[in-house]
Amino acid sequence: MKGTARGERIWFAPRGLAVAPGSTVRFVNRDPGNSHTATAYHPEVYGRTRRIPAAAAPWDSDFLLPDESFEVTLTAPGVYDYYCIPHEMAAMVGRIVVGAPGDAGWEGPSADAEDVSPEVLAALPGVEEILANGRIEEEDRA
Amino acid sequence: MFKSTLLSAALVLGAAACATAHDEDALRMAPPGDPYVQVSDVLPLPAFLPGLGTLFVNPETLPAGPFLSYDHDGKLSATIYMTPLEELQNGTAYDDLAIGAHHVSSVDIYYNAGHPGVEKPHAHVVLFHDDEAKGRLAK
Repeated sequence: MKGTARGERIWFAPRGLAVAPGSTVRFVNRDPGNSHTATAYHPEVYGRTRRIPAAAAPWDSDFLLPDESFEVTLTAPGVYDYYCIPHEMAAMVGRIVVGAPGDAGWEGPSADAEDVSPEVLAALPGVEEILANGRIEEEDRA
Repeated sequence: MFKSTLLSAALVLGAAACATAHDEDALRMAPPGDPYVQVSDVLPLPAFLPGLGTLFVNPETLPAGPFLSYDHDGKLSATIYMTPLEELQNGTAYDDLAIGAHHVSSVDIYYNAGHPGVEKPHAHVVLFHDDEAKGRLAK
């Protein structure tokens, strides 16, 4: 979770990440002038359309002040999309790919294009791109 | 009659000037008191925001403010307005906004993508009240 000094831009770093099933991911707020959340798209969390595997448990970090962190362990193979509550309008979203297509129970990316803005959809890296690179970093303009 | 009217006008102006000076004195040091609340007490934000300082706002004036900005020593250093770009584009005007102090040494205007309290992309309009204010608010 990062941002420029005056808050012109904010982003997840990385915004795309590939991990093995069972990995624990830690979100740390490295933005000294803002608070952020890492919140899964899921009906149980603010009634959003599900964008994580059906077998996965949703999560919401709640607001993290600078240097605060939150951990989640991801076991179900598939594609997980998440957002920052106060910054979704600015397309602060991220995608984690757990495992790979072909894994038992794999669930690919959500096809929904109604619950999120075109800007959010455009900001989510492609699954193939994430798997090919391991991680996708936002251009660092801080 | 004319003299009496002038005197009345002068008295009104004098009263207004006194009220303004009194208000400015009340706001000079943190906390400014009612109706202002400390932003970090009611929203999940750090108590001191680099570049913005410690902010107080009257919730009824959101989103535009004014936000009163205090330095680490509690001195009023800036008055800040936050105006959502979408509202401006749709015709909303933010007129006759209050000001924390009447001496303004410089003004910064810049884009902010959003934060708790004013989540829509907006402009920060920062009126610094002395030449060293920006430096004191920096970190």
